[in-house]
Amino acid sequence: MPNAAAPLLDPVLLARISDLALLARSVVDGFMHGQHRSLRRGSSADFAQHRSYQPGDDLRRIDWRVYGRTDRFYVKEYEADTNASVLFALDATASMAYGSGSVTKYDYGRFLIASLAWLSQRQGDRVGLATFSGDLVDIVPPSTRHLQLLLHTLGGSRASGAGRLSTAVDRLTHLSTRAGIVVLVTDCYEQPDDLGRAADALRIRGHDVIVFHLADAAERDFPFTAATTFEDAESGVRLPLRPDDLRATYLARMAEHHAAVSARLSAAGTDYVRVHTDQPLDRALHAYLDSRLARSRVR
Amino acid sequence: MAFLVPAFLAGLAALLVPLLLHLRHRDKDTPQRFPSLMFLERLPIRTAERRRITDWPLLLLRALALVLLVLAFARPFVSVGRAAGSTDAARTVIVLVDRSMSMSHRDVWPAALDSARRVLNGLGPRDRVALVLFDDEAEVVQPFTGDGALALAALRKATPGSAGTRYAAALRVARQLAADEGGERVEIVLVTDLQRSGRSGVAGLELPANFAVRTVAVAIADRANARVGNVDARRSDRNGRQLVSIRTRVESRDARASRQMSVMLRLNGRASGTVLVNVPATGESLVAFEPVPVPAGLVSGQITIDPDALAADDTAHFVVPADDALRVLLVASEDAGVDDTMYLERALAVNGAPNIRVERMSARRLDARALGDAALVMMWDAALPSGSAGAALTEWVTRGGGLVIVAGRRLEVSGTSASLVPASVSVQSERASGEPSALGDVRVDHPLLSPFRDARAALYAARFRRHSKLVPAARADVIARFDDGSAAIVERREGAGRVVVVAVPLDARAGDFPLQEAFLPFVRQLVVHTAGRDVTVLARTTGERWTLPGALREPVVAAPGGSIVRPARDAKGASVPLRSAGLYSLYDGGVRGAPLGMLGANAPASESDLTPMSRDELLVGTTLRTTSPEMATQPPAAEVAERRQAFWRLLIAALAVLLVTEMLFANRGWRGTANRLSLPQPGRSDS
Repeated sequence: MPNAAAPLLDPVLLARISDLALLARSVVDGFMHGQHRSLRRGSSADFAQHRSYQPGDDLRRIDWRVYGRTDRFYVKEYEADTNASVLFALDATASMAYGSGSVTKYDYGRFLIASLAWLSQRQGDRVGLATFSGDLVDIVPPSTRHLQLLLHTLGGSRASGAGRLSTAVDRLTHLSTRAGIVVLVTDCYEQPDDLGRAADALRIRGHDVIVFHLADAAERDFPFTAATTFEDAESGVRLPLRPDDLRATYLARMAEHHAAVSARLSAAGTDYVRVHTDQPLDRALHAYLDSRLARSRVR
Repeated sequence: MAFLVPAFLAGLAALLVPLLLHLRHRDKDTPQRFPSLMFLERLPIRTAERRRITDWPLLLLRALALVLLVLAFARPFVSVGRAAGSTDAARTVIVLVDRSMSMSHRDVWPAALDSARRVLNGLGPRDRVALVLFDDEAEVVQPFTGDGALALAALRKATPGSAGTRYAAALRVARQLAADEGGERVEIVLVTDLQRSGRSGVAGLELPANFAVRTVAVAIADRANARVGNVDARRSDRNGRQLVSIRTRVESRDARASRQMSVMLRLNGRASGTVLVNVPATGESLVAFEPVPVPAGLVSGQITIDPDALAADDTAHFVVPADDALRVLLVASEDAGVDDTMYLERALAVNGAPNIRVERMSARRLDARALGDAALVMMWDAALPSGSAGAALTEWVTRGGGLVIVAGRRLEVSGTSASLVPASVSVQSERASGEPSALGDVRVDHPLLSPFRDARAALYAARFRRHSKLVPAARADVIARFDDGSAAIVERREGAGRVVVVAVPLDARAGDFPLQEAFLPFVRQLVVHTAGRDVTVLARTTGERWTLPGALREPVVAAPGGSIVRPARDAKGASVPLRSAGLYSLYDGGVRGAPLGMLGANAPASESDLTPMSRDELLVGTTLRTTSPEMATQPPAAEVAERRQAFWRLLIAALAVLLVTEMLFANRGWRGTANRLSLPQPGRSDS
């Protein structure tokens, strides 16, 4: 939902800000300006409900008073959990370095992660970062004190090489045993089933998963006209093509792919947000906050 | 149109570069990077489409710009003297057609005409051609023209003549024509029978380096030929009747076998005798006719043999002088011995035409009566008489007499301003070095030395231990000089007569000239010329000039072909070129009555020798030069023309205009955006 501060979230303008911390604060402050509801209400320890004890629950959360009255174990749930762990996973393959305009998908992803991390930090979450291409490249473990490290690491990272998302996600599952939120920023050049299996693996570990699918305008519209040789950014394969003859086929296949990815990730209980790099950041931020609100219950 | 630096035209090959890049190397263009090709399938660009030029106007604009640039560097110009629109592919051709007497041998002349026509008909529309006919002289019958029909028309009028062959004359004229035309490469087509005797003078000839001489040989293998040789006529007086005895020789070359020929004599147009003679295959036979009664005046005659393949030399024309007795008064000094003049007298006593009758006398006896019918007075180392005898001698010379003064060891003459002697004479002692002297500079073009025109070396062979020193007076003509530069023979005309002073020793005491082969012809010609009788030679060869008597008021000559020649007179008299074989008749004022003089002209003997030479032999001894000395200090005509025209500036200006046009053309309209990506604008909503 665009607001009055939307121009400040224009990725073209943001690209002129070299300091990711300043960028993130500007984005979040601009975005938060005029919001009707404080996002910090969840930081209190307000009681929400009881639920039956499940093996593995923390024994300290058992409401002993209820046990004394009912002789059954119940645990308390609260409105907010200020200690959520948010891990941002950024696809750093070479395909992310593509940009038909002044902002590449990788730049846009970095802006997005910086802003989300700043936002999460304000909510008291622990933030961490993992970039991956063929394997994990940069890793910042989630912590309430790692925001600056995250921003610094994010600022120095580059997109290059090729790799499969499933491999990187498998490594991510072993990186953090504590359940939290995994924000996956990628261009989704994977088969939908592979993406779904990666999301399943995260979900099994108890993570909430939000997938931001970044797409360039040229990927969306395929505006090329002259017969040209195309080169795959990751594999380097070249194909002499006549775009005019291929455009319809390409757009149809791309739409099929988006639909399949969306369906498969939704089936895995994952939030899927497709963002185009020529769009303001607020759409992504709204999607993120909506997802956080839906999961604001403390387990 | 030609180019000063045509090598730059190779730059036109650069036109292929953009085409080849476009048609063959297009797949090597910078590829379009794309995140992933997983949704794109291979649809190769069709070869035919890749080889199709999609923007012809732009390609042509750029190609034209490149062409203009290359042409500007090649520095084009229009050749001076060439027709506008001609290109460097046009040829410059000079056709030299031999029309000497030998070309009338059998079917040689028709073959020559056919060859020349083939050359002329084979010319391109932009070729330029000149036609030159030559024998011993070259005549430009058609200057350079782009119209081959004119040259063909001029060729149709050509006929073989009676003159000899001199290739050097033809090549010199061609060289001058080429220099005037200024062609970069000149093709010389020489249509000839390649007669070896015509090669004289070619060795040492300088030819431009741009000459390409092509010879079209038209001679035939059968070269058998016979001719009538020199004619000798001698008058005699028998019982009061004038008789003339005619002798000649019949020369034969390259015949298969000896054969019998009839030789016919005609005098004054009437048959006067026929002789049968056996002529060897190669050699000569003497023919003597019986003495024939003739009138006392001039008698024209011709001797004819049986016609053969070359008929032009089967007849010899001659003229027997009216009275061939030439009376010479030899006046010697008192102390001169008989031995001093022995060689001279014996040389003059040799029979020939004209007959020379020498009368020796002392200076005291020389008077007006003695001069009477004398044709020549020869003062042998004696001073001229003074008083009445001297006056008589001066008057006699002025009326047409000839005076020869032989300067020896006794004669000294000074103060020549009012004297009959054209030079001061002083006695010179023997050279201190002891080295004999010789003649160093002789004017063989002078009638006195004309017998040595082709034998100049014979005069140089004589050596002299001492000789008198001559200082020419005013109006005197130095005919020969010694090798020390002093005058050897001096002549001056006095009225209608001539006075010649000879410092060349004519005895055997001061030199060996009397022992040299040149002595006899020299003294005879000295007498004949000074006496004014050199016009009475029996016959001359074509190519020479007939010097006419100076006493004629308005000389008119009827040539053999019937044409009338009125020669212009100059200070040295008048002369007529002998172009055709036959009988020339001299009149005064008009062609009427009996001729005052006649002369027979025949083709040179060398022209009857049909021996050919090879094509390579023709140009042996010639040297190639790039520019003539007078042209060496001047820039080449091409550079001058190019600098004056400066077409390259126009081309550069046109190139600039074209580039501006190309820039506007290529960046306006659809061309300006044809190859750019039409990227979506920011804020475009997702579909």
